[in-house]
Amino acid sequence: MILANAFCIVLLVDEMLRSLAGPPPAPLDCVRATELCAADAGCSSRYRTLRQCLAGRDRNTLLANRECQLALGVLQESPLERCRCKRGMKKELQCLQIYWSIHLGLAEGEEFYEASPYEPVTSRLSDIFRLASIFSGMDPATTSKSNHCLDAAKACNLNDNCKRLRSGYISTCSRELSATEPCSRRKCHKALRQFFDRVPGEFTFRLLFCSCKDPACAERRRQTIVPSCSYEDKEKPNCLDLRGACRADHLCRSRLADFHTNCQATFQSLTNCPGDNFQACLGSYAGLIGFDITPNYVDASTTSITISPWCSCKGSGNMEEECEKFLRDFTENPCLRNAIQAFGNGTDVNLAPKIPNPATTVLPKVKSPVLLDDVNDSNTAYDTSVISTCTSLQEQGLKPNQSKEQSLCYSQAQLTTDVMPDQKTFTDPKAGSSRQRESRILLLIPILIPVLGL
Amino acid sequence: GRRKRARARHKPCELRELEVSVSELGLGYESDETVLFRYCSGTCEAAVRSYDLSLKSMRSRRKIRKEKIRARPCCRPLAYDDDVSFLDAYNRYYTVNELSAKECGCV
Repeated sequence: MILANAFCIVLLVDEMLRSLAGPPPAPLDCVRATELCAADAGCSSRYRTLRQCLAGRDRNTLLANRECQLALGVLQESPLERCRCKRGMKKELQCLQIYWSIHLGLAEGEEFYEASPYEPVTSRLSDIFRLASIFSGMDPATTSKSNHCLDAAKACNLNDNCKRLRSGYISTCSRELSATEPCSRRKCHKALRQFFDRVPGEFTFRLLFCSCKDPACAERRRQTIVPSCSYEDKEKPNCLDLRGACRADHLCRSRLADFHTNCQATFQSLTNCPGDNFQACLGSYAGLIGFDITPNYVDASTTSITISPWCSCKGSGNMEEECEKFLRDFTENPCLRNAIQAFGNGTDVNLAPKIPNPATTVLPKVKSPVLLDDVNDSNTAYDTSVISTCTSLQEQGLKPNQSKEQSLCYSQAQLTTDVMPDQKTFTDPKAGSSRQRESRILLLIPILIPVLGL
Repeated sequence: GRRKRARARHKPCELRELEVSVSELGLGYESDETVLFRYCSGTCEAAVRSYDLSLKSMRSRRKIRKEKIRARPCCRPLAYDDDVSFLDAYNRYYTVNELSAKECGCV
């Protein structure tokens, strides 16, 4: 209990420091934005009207109604208009429902590419390489003769959190139900989503995008998501039908829009990726796994990497061109291919080297868990059955109901294995000195002690 | 040398770990994947109960003669770790349960 309290103080200090010296504020999340809207009588009544307008009706009916138009116009100037969601956040589904309830009204009907409802990814691949090398104690850039995919499996097996969630999806996805049903695809997808939402990228990316020189390695890479259950099917549906099914689901639609936003090939940069951000593309690719649109390697080739969802453009009729265009964003996408290769080689673009000197990032005494934002909000709405990251603290008698406390909860395993300096808190170069930080923490402690009732 | 080894052997019962390949587990699986094998090791001298003393006494008085008995507590897992899954050399996935110890005790 004392230990838990002490740890919470450390996290709280970190949270406060972040709010003091952090990067420019992230866009408001949509759940928070509706709370702000609810406090304003005008905004809340317009929002209610808009929701009624959208319920079960298409865009044309919406725009035909004057009252609905008016409501939409007012909401465009409210905090709701620019709100975004975070991958794996608490109430992710609720946040996305709010997002789409506004943006379906704003969109120009059915667009080929939709804007991502997720916050832009600011971290870089190099962050993952740096973290991975701290973990394994070896430089990921050194080329060894070993099988990189096997090394990735080892790294995951030696981490309790990664091992538990990997075993979770593997056992679910390889459990045979009957002679006719090889597995429960629905449960397999859910377990895969848990794995990719809750395990930090330095483990999941290594498993998914390891570089291979021989077929055995490439086959292991292809097998990562247990494709016999999660990917392959008896028939290959039409890709546009698959996209339609995906767009009918808020979560799948959001992940697809995120993929299109971050991996859409552009010929204006050397990397072919938007903003030269490989990590954002790989992250949104991983975000598609566990949905109808799950992508995978089509074969175990070591020379050419071909990715595709399980669909074809047969039977597209006069939509053939659109279907091919959709499919090519997976199969012939230079941004995605470059991102995967860059990860495999351990290289990243350093156009704007924002990475601070590693010496200043190591904090004495005060430690914060890695990828704080991704881990701490992992109680996604579509999945409540799994072990909450808060359990260990709950057992010790802490009530994690209040959102403040919930964001401070970690399992014991994460404390011991995932502890490392958080990159995001160090992006401000003026606040980069660890001594400066430490002195500010000391200043904060007398303020915190009465707050926590110690 | 010997003194250090002797001291190591007299450590109380506790959890230890080894990194081993799945093939080395001897369960008949062929896989190069590495897993963490946690096991229980150490002595249980402090955990001797009246039961153990009495049982020893019964044996020395020949009241128990032919039966197989154990008059000493034993360092064993009290709980086992979660399942471990791995891909074998033939690209098939397997899941093994109760492979690794999670908590040890003198029982």
